[in-house]
Amino acid sequence: MSTTLTPTSIAPTVQVEGLTKRFGSFTAIDDVTFSVKPNKIYGLLGRNGAGKTTIMQLLTGQDFATDGDIRVFGEGPVENARVLQNICFIKESQRYPDDFQAKHVFRSAPWFFENWDAEFAERLIRDFRLPLNRRIKKLSRGQLSAVGVIVGLASRAPLTFFDEPYLGLDAVARQIFYDRLLEDYAEHPRTVILSTHLIDEVSNLLEHVIVIDQGRILMDEDAEAMRGAATTVVGQRRAVDAFVDGHEVLHREGIGGLASVTVAALSPSQRAEAAAAGLELSPVSLQQLIVRKTNVAATEFEQSA
Amino acid sequence: MTAIAPEAVNLRTTPASAQRIWRVVRLNLVNKGTTIWVPAMIMGFIWLVNYLIWWIIWAATPVAERPHAMDGTQWSGGGSYIFVYMLVVGIQVISMTFPFALGYSVTRRDFWLGSALTFVMLSAGYSIGFTVLSFIEQWTNGWGLGGHLFTSVYFGDGGFWERLFIVFVAMTFFFFIGATSGTLFMRWRVNGLLIAGALLALVIVGAVALITFTQSWPAIGDWFTRMGPTGVVAWLLLPTAIAALAGYFVLRRSTPKS
Repeated sequence: MSTTLTPTSIAPTVQVEGLTKRFGSFTAIDDVTFSVKPNKIYGLLGRNGAGKTTIMQLLTGQDFATDGDIRVFGEGPVENARVLQNICFIKESQRYPDDFQAKHVFRSAPWFFENWDAEFAERLIRDFRLPLNRRIKKLSRGQLSAVGVIVGLASRAPLTFFDEPYLGLDAVARQIFYDRLLEDYAEHPRTVILSTHLIDEVSNLLEHVIVIDQGRILMDEDAEAMRGAATTVVGQRRAVDAFVDGHEVLHREGIGGLASVTVAALSPSQRAEAAAAGLELSPVSLQQLIVRKTNVAATEFEQSA
Repeated sequence: MTAIAPEAVNLRTTPASAQRIWRVVRLNLVNKGTTIWVPAMIMGFIWLVNYLIWWIIWAATPVAERPHAMDGTQWSGGGSYIFVYMLVVGIQVISMTFPFALGYSVTRRDFWLGSALTFVMLSAGYSIGFTVLSFIEQWTNGWGLGGHLFTSVYFGDGGFWERLFIVFVAMTFFFFIGATSGTLFMRWRVNGLLIAGALLALVIVGAVALITFTQSWPAIGDWFTRMGPTGVVAWLLLPTAIAALAGYFVLRRSTPKS
């Protein structure tokens, strides 16, 4: 397979089959299969502890799979310099040497990332107002996130991971990250995998969404398709109940005689039908959709247990 | 090559192994304060404190007894500080720089080889400095007071190469013992250190029992005398090599816990 890593690769950026990772008796990742296409921005979404960081550690060869197959640029990533050369993954919980100041990170990063853009890094350092001469241990949570974000952006690795990049960043800094990522991505297309549990914050950024929950893939869909994947129907309880009968119900809530029910995608004729019945339809945000879906999964899980 | 598929990705060329190892060396040395300036400054301070103590002894002792009084300083352990420091550097390279290097997508193999090269380079640099200081100490008759710090008995009184060899070997020993302990912790956490420590203790007790029951203690004493400091230190190369090899294989399957 070593011939696949010529200067260009047309293999899927990531191809994972039957991936399982156990820590003792705990199954963190449970028989997961998915692939990542080149030059798209992926969202790896899920609740805390769902297995997002574990998946990223497995994809970058930082951890070892219990079972299953991982291909990154067509090859296994573990201890494979040809593959790892193309990856940048600064974990949310990344450890830095105690004696490091931020300047040591930016001094050493270009040695490891061939496409490193020093000017871009300097601009980002100014944007995030990151103090270079302070020990990393003394940085605030937001400043620590900024270090990872700057390395991730300026390294321009063909496969870049952002692990909870928003953690501790204020609204201005988050907007800077969002803007710089899109600008630079447009000029230098690459595959980006962004993990977060703050879904609404990033939903406009994502082209494809993979939702994981309790180590399993819950959704693996185009982001645009997902945005229209569910609708909330609001109205008189009786009218709503009559309308949603036969639909896949994701969520239901109500006050008094009013009901609000989230159902799977509706066809234009169904929409017309709802309007005729005096029901209100409202779109469901990505975050709401995922919350609904993960809740459904949780109740199913409880019932089966 | 104009017909590149729209989804083709331009991958980076992979640098040669030597280049990948060298950048790990640079990463280990990026903060010169920790690896060079701090130990040098502390060593300088130890020298200063020793110098003051020698001066007190020197001033408080009658002239006739001075050479005898200052003789005792040849048992000075002040120089051992630098070796313990290197043990800690060895541990930190694994506990802190290794998890960081993984974030830079370095392979474990390249990291271990690069760090091993760093240890050898630092040992060479420090042993040259240490040896030069030992000759200055000798030529100035113990900094003018007959004191011993860099010429204490543990480092022998051989020529330049002999002294250099002793300090170099001792230093690599401490680096690799530290780093390999670090890999045991990285892979098996506390259990790894406990079990390795327990095994080591059993081996030592076993050796003591063997020597005692075969009444070989005098022979052991003879052996140390016959080997001299250089010969004894040369045997340190064996555990150093074992540690270096073991550390490599332990690290290859290690993952930092977040």
